[in-house]
Amino acid sequence: MQAHSNLLNWILWMPMIGAIVTLLIPSKMEKGIRWWSLVNTLTTFILTLVLYSKFDTTVPGMQEAFNVKIPWIAQFHINYSLGIDGISLPMILLTGLLFFLCIMSSWTITKQIKAYFSLFLFLQCSVFGVFLALDFFLFYVFWEVMLIPMFFLIGIWGGENKEYAAVKFFLYTFFGSILMLIGMVALYYASGQGADSFDILALSGGHFRNLNLELFGTNFAFNKLLFIFLFIGFAIKVPVFPFHTWLPHAHVQAPTAISVILAGVLLKMGTYGFLRIAYPIFPEASKYFSYSIAVLGIINVIYGAFCAMAQNDVKKLVAYSSVSHMGFVMLGLAAMTVQGMNGAVLQMFNHGTSTAMMFLLIGILYERSHHRWIVKPDGTKGFGGLYTQLPKFSIIFIIAMFASMGLPGLSGFISEALIFLGIYERFTSITALGLIGLLIGAAYLLWMYKRMFFGDVIDECKTYTDVNAREIAYMTPLCIAVIVFGIYPSPILNMMRASVGKLVSLLATF
Amino acid sequence: MDYTISSIAPIVLLPFFAFAINAFIVKRFTKLAVFISCAAILGSFGFAYNIFCDFMTVYSADYHIHKTFNWFNLSHGNLNFKVDMGIYIDNMSAVMLLMVTGAASLIHIFSTYYMKEDVRYGRFFVYLSLFTSAMLGLVLSDNLLSVFIFWELMGFCSYSLIGFYYEKEGAGNASIKAFMTTRVGDVFFLFGILAIWSIVGNVTFVDIYKTIAAGGFDGAMALGIPLATVAAFSIFMGTVGKSAQVPLQVWLPDAMWGPTPCSALIHAATMVAAGVYLSLRCYPLMEVGNLTTAIAYIGGITAFGAATIALVQTDIKAVLAYSTISQLGYMVLGVGVGSYNAAFMHLITHAVFKACLFLSAGSVIHSLHDHHTHGHVQEMPRMGGLRKKMPYTFIAMLLCTFAIAGVPLFSGFVSKDRILGDALLAAGYSKSFIIPAALGFGGALLTAFYMFRMMFLTFFGEPRDKELYDHTKEEKISWNRNVPLLILAVFTLGVFYSGSLTGQKIVKVFPKDSIEWFKTLIVEPKVEKFQNYQSEPFAWTDTRNKTRFERTKYDPTYGLPQEEYDHVHHVHLIGAGMSVLIVILGVGMAAMMYLLRLWNPGWWVNTFARFYRALQNKYYFDDMYVKGLIKKGLLPLNNLLAAIDMGIYDRYAIDGWQYVVRKIYLVSKWFDNIMVDTVAVDGTGASVRLMNIVLRTLQSGRVQFYFIIIIFLLTFSSYIFNQNF
Repeated sequence: MQAHSNLLNWILWMPMIGAIVTLLIPSKMEKGIRWWSLVNTLTTFILTLVLYSKFDTTVPGMQEAFNVKIPWIAQFHINYSLGIDGISLPMILLTGLLFFLCIMSSWTITKQIKAYFSLFLFLQCSVFGVFLALDFFLFYVFWEVMLIPMFFLIGIWGGENKEYAAVKFFLYTFFGSILMLIGMVALYYASGQGADSFDILALSGGHFRNLNLELFGTNFAFNKLLFIFLFIGFAIKVPVFPFHTWLPHAHVQAPTAISVILAGVLLKMGTYGFLRIAYPIFPEASKYFSYSIAVLGIINVIYGAFCAMAQNDVKKLVAYSSVSHMGFVMLGLAAMTVQGMNGAVLQMFNHGTSTAMMFLLIGILYERSHHRWIVKPDGTKGFGGLYTQLPKFSIIFIIAMFASMGLPGLSGFISEALIFLGIYERFTSITALGLIGLLIGAAYLLWMYKRMFFGDVIDECKTYTDVNAREIAYMTPLCIAVIVFGIYPSPILNMMRASVGKLVSLLATF
Repeated sequence: MDYTISSIAPIVLLPFFAFAINAFIVKRFTKLAVFISCAAILGSFGFAYNIFCDFMTVYSADYHIHKTFNWFNLSHGNLNFKVDMGIYIDNMSAVMLLMVTGAASLIHIFSTYYMKEDVRYGRFFVYLSLFTSAMLGLVLSDNLLSVFIFWELMGFCSYSLIGFYYEKEGAGNASIKAFMTTRVGDVFFLFGILAIWSIVGNVTFVDIYKTIAAGGFDGAMALGIPLATVAAFSIFMGTVGKSAQVPLQVWLPDAMWGPTPCSALIHAATMVAAGVYLSLRCYPLMEVGNLTTAIAYIGGITAFGAATIALVQTDIKAVLAYSTISQLGYMVLGVGVGSYNAAFMHLITHAVFKACLFLSAGSVIHSLHDHHTHGHVQEMPRMGGLRKKMPYTFIAMLLCTFAIAGVPLFSGFVSKDRILGDALLAAGYSKSFIIPAALGFGGALLTAFYMFRMMFLTFFGEPRDKELYDHTKEEKISWNRNVPLLILAVFTLGVFYSGSLTGQKIVKVFPKDSIEWFKTLIVEPKVEKFQNYQSEPFAWTDTRNKTRFERTKYDPTYGLPQEEYDHVHHVHLIGAGMSVLIVILGVGMAAMMYLLRLWNPGWWVNTFARFYRALQNKYYFDDMYVKGLIKKGLLPLNNLLAAIDMGIYDRYAIDGWQYVVRKIYLVSKWFDNIMVDTVAVDGTGASVRLMNIVLRTLQSGRVQFYFIIIIFLLTFSSYIFNQNF
């Protein structure tokens, strides 16, 4: 097979090149910075598509042809090691697409453009790093590095309470990272400090079954304890109840494009962590805790939906809906059946597109209204009659909304149905509860839509203009994705099924 | 006929492509979009008619077409999971296809008249096309999953069309109510699909039958209840939601906010009937799940309860809405009492006469233009005497009223009477069916009464709003207003369905021996027949063995032993007699009250004031759900959880760490300041300074002082050394 080893390097470092070049452009050339960022992200996106075209869907696990492995810190056997399989490829494609579209939506940013776009591209590089890394240390580095641009992007370009949200986001994630760091170091020693001590693939397969750990005079099963550590580290990112409260703050305060990236890509890093690290390394412990994961997932689904219904801030409503929808991914992961796991990965992708649409649309609306209240704090209507005022916007909003609630024919349905098919076989009663989430999920979205879009146009809304060409340009690819993958999901499912199947088989042996 | 994909798929695809094209061109080329929609549905009708003719030519109860293809496949190694989709057409779907495409075509044509002046004329057709393709997809489905997919898509169209006049507060509320109420049923439906999938491995109808025949459901449990019951109940809840049965009936009356043609198509003829269609398809499951008695009760209660509410409605569309609920109740009752064939026949006959009734109502409403409010008039108290102004609408509506009331020789009599006859039969076998049967007969009385009340109030007597009446134009016959009505009205004649009377040759394709074709062809699926069943893969050419099916001959006893058949026939005759009496009684009472004005309706209202109030409030179901369940239960719960989440959990449990850290910081600050800095660091400095002073003092340069120190040290050290050694 032909080797394409440089492709992953290019994908990973292309945004970094972009960021550096952005820094070199004089800050007066605002147009130049914008167009350069756009060209750069488009190039990255095209590279991800090239990767997709060269990807062999029949191979389970990592594709040898793409692997990169160079010693980095040789004393500790830390390598610069990249790879791609069917689980990371959908995430790579999603990242490539969303960053490209977000640059277009960031066209209206006027404050410190140079810093914004370079940080944004830097963020893309670190996100790719997380999804591509095959070395635990490298993974951890990218995971941590990602916090830096994120902190500034929220803290400088955010809303009225941005500092609080930025610090909260940083500390929350950092807390999880520390647990992950402990896990990583423990694994390094447990695996004998040998050549493979940071190699995720070599650590996988359930080698740490019979190990015990003495801590404060008590004996713990190594794999269970470490699984909990890693679980918390990843769960904060997902976010899994009770580690979810950073999300409403961060999503609401972040500028539009950052909310999109946060909800569309960054949340998936958490679940990706389960699929790439926690599950393969500790399959036995994962199986042992699967019921607890399912319970947490169902709490996410229902609790997130209930909280969403109470929100008067439309962005906060969508933020809580993310909590609810990521709960479905957790349910799929807890199922550990072929349907459930495929459904979970598909849901990661589909939630990425549909929630990105929601946040982009809210951003478009915010640029016109400069507020996001469905009902203002003084009890008056924040929006009304938008359907009459903004017909095109409303149609796109309907597509996004119904995709997000899982209407058949749009993408969300297939993944949710697969997850439910998967979880039913293992936890029937949890499935029954999960269906309540479907019900409430439709209720809060429709209620929101009714309050904002139906009725007579209120005076405040009469000045709003409908979506312009640029806005249509970045909404269209997502609309197409949501509809096409709703009718014909095979392109994505074929990508992942071999790799997911391999993971399911591994879990099934324990 | 050879079946290839190209002779079946266009039925669904034509309206779907019409939708896809129109969605983009509707704004600029409204007229073209309307034309495309109408042409597409007429094309669909052509293909459906083709299939129907084929089925009538083969004329076999077992004849069917089943083709499958793979939708997506997740198999890897020894893990198997794939989802297949397919087309399944048997006699039932063939008839259903003809009905749906036929009714939809006529309603499309009528809409070109009714919606002409509407600002969103084109958009209405966009939704209509999407809806039609979803409904046809549902009819062609071979499995529950694709039924569910199309089912929800129809729900979306229904939502959009009910909220068509979204500027109005009521329309917005009604659209959410419709979507959410049916979604309650849908969620159960999905759970049913999951339960069945866990046993059968897919949800194809024939595989479900096969599994039932093989006893696959025996002993399986889910949630501590037999799985068959769970599955049957869940699927039936889907029917309850979609077909507006008690207790999820509340959405259908509000659905009348939509334009009248959409009420005719979606909320009368097709979508609401799809619920019953689903129950019929899953009939063997309902039997295995021991759910038939419960179904009969739900159907009976709905049929009777909705009819009582219809008695007091003054809005012409509201009367029809409640009559729809009531008639759907009859179909469900039919499913419950094992009257498979008659329930389906009532589905078809009802679709025809109710579509016609709604279109006629639309025709009336559209002509009555209020010059003060610039709106159309739907209130019956402002009508009266309209038969002179609109004779054609009147004729069509009268024929349909005969049909729904169950006047002999009309379609409603044929189908409803069979359901009631079977209910009577079931009541004879088991006492538990007595109440549903009684409710059914009671409902029939009320139906005759309220339908003729509606007719008398609308078309007879003196005009009650003279100004409105005078402004109304004389009806002239037009191709898109009256022709669809009259065509539908013709098909309210019983001969088309029962065929037991002369006249079946009107429809050319019917074979000569097609006496009782409906009863001969539509038979409930016997699971045993499916034991060795194999479906064919999807292919462009047809490879089936075409001689497999033998023509089904008309069997006057329907396979029953003569003695049993005599009993059945006897009971049915009693039922028919009762029905006729009931119709006469109902029409008579309506005439006494509203035509001859011999009885004063006000007396009834005053005498049964409390009951009247209950009826006006629709038995308080809406209050219970909206004011009770949502406003007192759901919303406070949401607010409470959200307040706990941000106000307590996040503020104290998460941000609280800030205070803990600050306390630790204070302690460490104190330690740092006092212990480390003051004591240790500054203390060192101070001690050095102190030592400095001491040493400076010591090094005074005076010899006497040095001597004192030396002596002191010698004494002290000798003392210490003596102690130790």
